[in-house]
Amino acid sequence: MLKSLKVGLFAGALATATSLAGNALAQDAAAGEKVFKKCAACHAVGEGAKNKVGPQLNNVIGRTAGGVEGYKYSKPMIEAGGGGLIWEAETLAGYLANPRKFMKGTKMSFAGLKKEDDLANVIAYLATFSEGAEPAAEEPKAEETEQKSETPSGNSSVAAAPATLAKDAEVPSHGIFHLGRVALEEEITAWDIDVRPDGAGLPKGKGTVAQGDEIFAEQCAVCHGDFGEGKDRWPVLAGGQDTLTKERPEKTVGSYWPYLSTVYDYVRRTMPFGNARSLSDDEVYALTAYILYLNDVVTDEEFELSDSNFNEVRLPNEANFIVDNRTEETHYADKKEPCMKDCIAEPAKVTMRAAVLDVTPDSEEGEGGGSIE
Amino acid sequence: MSDKTTQKDSVNLSRRSLLTKGAAAGGALVAGAVSARAASPDPLITEIQDWNRYLGDGVDAKPYGVPSQFESNVVRRDVAWLTADPKSSVNFTPLHELDGIITPNGLCFERHHGGIAEINPADHRLMINGLVDTPLVFTLEDLKRFPRENRVYFLECAANSGMEWRGAQLNGCQFTHGMVHNVMYTGVPLKHILNEAGVKPEGKWILPEGADAAAMTRSIPLEKAMDDCMIAFKMNGEALRPEQGYPVRLVVPGWEGNMWIKWLRRIEIGDEPWHQREETSKYTDLLADGTARRFTWEMDVKSVITNPSPQAPITHGRGATVLTGLAWSGFGKIARVDVSIDGGRNWETARIDGPSLSKSVHRFYYDFDWDGSELFLQSRAIDEMGNVQPTKNELRAARGVNSIYHNNSIQTWQIKPDGSAENVEIS
Ligand code: HEC
Ligand code: HEC
Repeated sequence: MLKSLKVGLFAGALATATSLAGNALAQDAAAGEKVFKKCAACHAVGEGAKNKVGPQLNNVIGRTAGGVEGYKYSKPMIEAGGGGLIWEAETLAGYLANPRKFMKGTKMSFAGLKKEDDLANVIAYLATFSEGAEPAAEEPKAEETEQKSETPSGNSSVAAAPATLAKDAEVPSHGIFHLGRVALEEEITAWDIDVRPDGAGLPKGKGTVAQGDEIFAEQCAVCHGDFGEGKDRWPVLAGGQDTLTKERPEKTVGSYWPYLSTVYDYVRRTMPFGNARSLSDDEVYALTAYILYLNDVVTDEEFELSDSNFNEVRLPNEANFIVDNRTEETHYADKKEPCMKDCIAEPAKVTMRAAVLDVTPDSEEGEGGGSIE
Repeated sequence: MSDKTTQKDSVNLSRRSLLTKGAAAGGALVAGAVSARAASPDPLITEIQDWNRYLGDGVDAKPYGVPSQFESNVVRRDVAWLTADPKSSVNFTPLHELDGIITPNGLCFERHHGGIAEINPADHRLMINGLVDTPLVFTLEDLKRFPRENRVYFLECAANSGMEWRGAQLNGCQFTHGMVHNVMYTGVPLKHILNEAGVKPEGKWILPEGADAAAMTRSIPLEKAMDDCMIAFKMNGEALRPEQGYPVRLVVPGWEGNMWIKWLRRIEIGDEPWHQREETSKYTDLLADGTARRFTWEMDVKSVITNPSPQAPITHGRGATVLTGLAWSGFGKIARVDVSIDGGRNWETARIDGPSLSKSVHRFYYDFDWDGSELFLQSRAIDEMGNVQPTKNELRAARGVNSIYHNNSIQTWQIKPDGSAENVEIS
């Protein structure tokens, strides 16, 4: 353990970590499986687990940091491993509580687990895939079992009636059926984060291309690539200008998206994938500015995007969206009674087969083209 | 991706069982199935079978029933190479294994953009805000106190058949057409809920939003919302499945599946559309000239022959053959389905059986005597508005091949003399 301390990465996380370490393995691996959903976008564990965005996590307990062969770790991770950092309950707790504080420069773009229970449980879950780690104590506490059998959702089929008498229930005055309650201002603010092309819904704030560059490298590049070029099959965010009429169009913010507001709105509500709503409003401004820069819509690294200049930015493809005019296509517009007899003179000849390009899942061949997005 | 290998294994397994079931001799025909007279008595009849002698499981063996062990290959399947991650991906309904018009809940295809949200109904809230007199919050219990209705509707992903624009690619109607399902929903008309909050006269659009990690959103005109949209909490009589939006989803009859927001937690009313990611970057239809159609909401008239098809070859030799399939239209009922066995040279009208409901799938049959020769099977649906399902070439001539969405063209299956079937395009 001392050796890993020498790496000097522990900082403030250590306090929490040590208090957790003792009972981590006694925690609930089943609850940990749920917590692991936060990790599953990037990590696989269990039989046949492969490296994804992050390394596979089989046998992680007791493993030297950066120890999975064939996975490209960040430099700090390799150095930490070289310095003797071993993944054990307490070091894991420190890393997972706040990855970038624990290890400056780690490429794990994950905000960290804030709840101690989550930390202990996810470590217990990982321990079940690690040989040599003590198995988690799974026996539930006696009181808990008792309580469970008493809950109405357990064995009993009769739901509990509310405590107050029906005639005393308060009936609201709004509406026709008088159902629901009035939404509070704070509740609306918490959920209503959508932004429109006219700027309606934009929060106050600002961020520069340079700031966005830094956040993007830390939190987005693992999937989208340093320049938004998209790693593996993760979405491409930049480039593709002048490809819309080509054989393989590349639809990106720069080549296809009509409005910048959509970038702000979407990044704020969903990204980074697997850790939605973790970015501050200013960070989203900076990232939006950086995505503009990646697409050559702005060229100055000092460019600052804010709620006051947001509406001045226009995306190049805005004018190329048209209304739905499918009904004007001749095959619909005609509404002709279709031919029933001798419709085509020559007998049918095969011009293309699925088997030639056999990409159906049960075939041995690789991957097909096209997209469902 | 690790899921890919397991997927492959299970699919290979089913193909193997198909082959052993089908034909030892390479083709799909079962030798002997055509003989009218048995050579020796069938031991399945002359000998007493275990299930005829010994007692089976009692009533509570499975408190929630599951299909027979012999149906274990009837499952949703995905195409791993389509997407980067199974949390933002899709799998497909095994249409070739089903009949009638209702899709069983566990076989309804899945499409998520941020995985399946797991929500305790007690923790779920639905908020109505924006241009309303009184912004409201409902619990699930509140929603269940509005007058309910039951409706059967198809839900089709706008990208269904999206991999087939450039030519025949996937060999099986599960993959070419399996992003559709048909379910009876129980729920509340959306207009009751919007009226409860009181939509202001300037309100022209709604923005439903999901509670999942994709916080899915789409702009829908108020007119549609007040017409036939529903907030559903039951599918085919039981609670929505988690992958279908438990505890509540929006039902937008006849329109793109992406608009049927799952895990529905908020509906905002506004005077303009929002142009969200799923109606700009996605679900817009790129045309050959580089322009793109937006707000292409209705799902066009469409049909497909589900049997025979590549995953469901003819195994019985010549003679009486049941051809069956599904037809649907976002514009109403299906008026008629025509079937061709010679690649569109000649057509005959198929028999529709079962309920004919607006914006629901229709089941059609064409019973014929197969003479054992090569066939090119096609079906063509016509809806009550007179829309005729187009050919692939008609669609490509009008749009090019880069639209991804709204491919409702006529599908061709080639039946070979051994009874096997292939996804082809023909002249
Ligand atoms: C957004 C992607 C992402 C998420 C989410 C994520 N990780 Fe990671 N993780 C990574 C990457 C990338 C690395 C490699 C870090 C490096 O090389 O600096 C990593 C490294 C690790 C390591 C070190 C492994 C080794 O071999 O040294 C552990 C342990 C780990 N992650 C656990 C978790 C757990 C547990 C969670 C969920 C609570 C999680 N991660 C969430 C991407 C992610
Ligand atoms: C773990 C991988 C991952 C990380 C990290 C990630 N993304 Fe994404 N991103 C995705 C996936 C997957 C999608 C598509 C989701 C879907 O299918 O709905 C996406 C979609 C997007 C899109 C829309 C692309 C399009 O063409 O529609 C933008 C913009 C985006 N991400 C920006 C970001 C930004 C900014 C960050 C960093 C804060 C980030 N992403 C981090 C995986 C990731």
